[in-house]
Amino acid sequence: MSTTPVARRRPTRSPLVGYLLRRLGTSILLLIGVTIVTFLLTNLVPGDPVSAALGEGASQNPATREAFIKAHGLDQPLFVQYFIYMANLLQGDLGTSLVTGRPVASDLATAVPATIEIAVCAIIVSLAVSIVLGTLAAYRRGLVTDQVVRVVTLVGLSVPTFWLALVSYYFFFLQLGVAPGSGRISPAITPPPRITGFYTIDYLLNGDSVGFFDAAAHLALPVMVLSLVTIGLLTRFVRTSVLEVLDSDYVRAARAKGLSGTRVVLGYVLRGAALPILTVVGVAFGALLSGTVLVESVFAWPGLGTYAYNAAANLDLTGIMGVGLVVGVIYLLINLVVDLLYGVLDPRVRIA
Amino acid sequence: MSSFSRRSLVAVGAVTLLAITGCSGGNSANGGGDGGSSSGSLVIDTAFSVETADPGHSYDPTGNMLAKALYETLVDFEGSDVSTPVPGLASWEQNDEATEFTFTLEDGRVFSDGSPIEAKDVVFSLHRIQGMVDAKPNFLLAGVTIEEVDDKTVTFTTETPMLQLPAILANPALGILNSDVVIENGGTTDGADTAQSFLDGESAGSGPFVLDTLDLSSQIVLTGNEEYNGDEASAYDRVVIRNVTESATQLANLKGGDTMVAMDLNGDQVATLGGDQNVDSVASAQTIFLLFNQSAEIAGDLANVKLAEAIRYAIDYDSLLELAGAGSVPATGVIPPAFEGALETGIEQDLDRSAAALAEAGYTGQTLKLQFPNDYPVGGVEFTPLAERVQAQLEDAGIAVELAPAPFATELDAYVNGTEGFGLWFWGPDYADSANFLPFGPGLKVGLRAGWAAEANPEIAALAADAASATDVDERTAAFTEFAEAMQAEGPFVPLIVPGRNIAAAGDVTGAVYNSVWEIDIAEIAPAG
Repeated sequence: MSTTPVARRRPTRSPLVGYLLRRLGTSILLLIGVTIVTFLLTNLVPGDPVSAALGEGASQNPATREAFIKAHGLDQPLFVQYFIYMANLLQGDLGTSLVTGRPVASDLATAVPATIEIAVCAIIVSLAVSIVLGTLAAYRRGLVTDQVVRVVTLVGLSVPTFWLALVSYYFFFLQLGVAPGSGRISPAITPPPRITGFYTIDYLLNGDSVGFFDAAAHLALPVMVLSLVTIGLLTRFVRTSVLEVLDSDYVRAARAKGLSGTRVVLGYVLRGAALPILTVVGVAFGALLSGTVLVESVFAWPGLGTYAYNAAANLDLTGIMGVGLVVGVIYLLINLVVDLLYGVLDPRVRIA
Repeated sequence: MSSFSRRSLVAVGAVTLLAITGCSGGNSANGGGDGGSSSGSLVIDTAFSVETADPGHSYDPTGNMLAKALYETLVDFEGSDVSTPVPGLASWEQNDEATEFTFTLEDGRVFSDGSPIEAKDVVFSLHRIQGMVDAKPNFLLAGVTIEEVDDKTVTFTTETPMLQLPAILANPALGILNSDVVIENGGTTDGADTAQSFLDGESAGSGPFVLDTLDLSSQIVLTGNEEYNGDEASAYDRVVIRNVTESATQLANLKGGDTMVAMDLNGDQVATLGGDQNVDSVASAQTIFLLFNQSAEIAGDLANVKLAEAIRYAIDYDSLLELAGAGSVPATGVIPPAFEGALETGIEQDLDRSAAALAEAGYTGQTLKLQFPNDYPVGGVEFTPLAERVQAQLEDAGIAVELAPAPFATELDAYVNGTEGFGLWFWGPDYADSANFLPFGPGLKVGLRAGWAAEANPEIAALAADAASATDVDERTAAFTEFAEAMQAEGPFVPLIVPGRNIAAAGDVTGAVYNSVWEIDIAEIAPAG
């Protein structure tokens, strides 16, 4: 009986680590692509960013104009400008805004948390409401409840966000007096010392309950408006997904075993319907971010949408680049989280 | 719903509700309203147009309002009246040629740190701007030599007669800084200045307020200057200027008590206000006008001032005014009312005269392309409906017009470079003096945007030069009037509307009045009664 020597096996890398590394690599390539496309498109827009930034008076002063062009490297050929931008980007420098004259990174550090704060709350509210409404509609397919939910979702999808924001502001703030005024906090309240940029969290971390409740109350209306639009989209998908699962064998088997309705819904129906819903939630979150510009305008919310609009309207090249990059990163992160959650929810995906 | 019980639904619903309240934190029921008026703070809503709190780099409406609150200038204006400069930090004398001005600082005035205001501060502040060629207000001091005579005296010498210098020095961008503090924080006069970031964090002036916080995206907070010893002390210890870009939100905030001053309401919105609010509606200093390019290269056969004349008499100005709202008035010429030399009456529609001029112009039915910015309302006047009404009126007069709207940022380039054949634009003064409207003349800034060289009309060019160099006040007024009349007769511009500016305030607030240089003087706002 001979013994075969045991070959020394190289320590194997976790499949998850390998997957994340591959995703990181493709994400970097995608972000480089985003910078190229954004840079080219921004420079293709007709118009003179120098005049737009300096205004009529100062832009007609040759010395001022020349100094501005030199200071921002606009006298360099386009490809040189791009490579300088990328070289700075590698060092974490997003450039200086042509309009505000401040680092784009610091502008975005203020704007992005403001938008993420309402977007995250809105997606949580939307998801919760959609799951209830969608499941209800599926269970009561063809009945009055289903029809009512259908009308509600159609209204949510078809009402213009800007109009909805204005009407809700006038109704809840001005007429009923149950909502606070515009902005992230009341004028009498001092903003919290910056830790995360999310006012609610920063107030909590500083133990300021008055500030926390004020900031949270100011979130309510923008979140409600953003949620209504997203609820319309998500509810339709939840209903469809639940309907597909309801007829499956494993749900019938669970019922046959005599499990309670709640267990069947939470443990079998919703879990089975979760994957397609998750896909749509990822898309909806991205759409929600792009939809905040109108809501931010009405509620005087100093977020990413407002910053992006101002950057575009003023031909702020570095500002637009910064927004493009941040939005790209957010989308990639959302997709990564969604893909990882697939694995959590469905072991087959994990094994594959 | 056999197995999905009603109880389960309630449970899921409760979770949903918890999520909502968890995110909203409940409803604080008008917390903002309370904070707005009962705290003793003054709250102002405006659409921000501000890049910095450093007056040396500031040249925007909100920036000027901010600089006016934080810094004082040598010269001032009273209320809305920008026709007569009055002493600010200093009184002055000038020579007959209007080329040398001697300013004497008021005794006893101090900065917010208690140190005295001296001539060296004046010289440093203005030399700093002259040194920073990339600073927007740099052009205001072109051709001016500033010298310290003694601690209290400064002389300004100009290369050419400059009767408008006092009005220029009232611009808040030329506010006086505490030179010791600014130099200590990177301030220089050689162009290498790095004090802007310091001045964005704290102010170094002598105005009635000091800077508390500057968040250019959401709000600017000012507090009272405890050392202030001028005659414009504020009734409020704390001022919150909020960035509210949507005028409909400003209106709701004002009605709901969340703000005390709303600065950007249009005429229609102002009309909805009741007795609980005060409105100051005045004509602004902006003029909306049509431009006809006189360069054959741009306008071809239509490069002819007769076409401008035809259109000038084809327009129904009262009808256009319907689009403008409260405070707006018809433009009587290139110089708006309240400025020296403005004409008393404007052109009246005369279709016969228009037809005659059109025939003289050689117009044979060509379509004119009207270029204009469609995302930049001026004084609440939207350019798209205005252009549509102009188009309809000109079509009634037999002139075909095609509309070519574009975003402001992209169309601006064509306008300033003089490549628009037919444009709808606006012009506002850089400082409060009629000299600001001379650029409409041939060979000058706006004239050249219309391809109108000095040789095209040497008579009007001479009138503009005479007005610019006049040193006697009466002669100067007469020269401006003559210039404005000639422009209405033979110029390539058709002034249409001087839009109104509406400053709306809560009923328990007074003093919120518009000033074309600094929007509003915050220190003048006080509780009513």
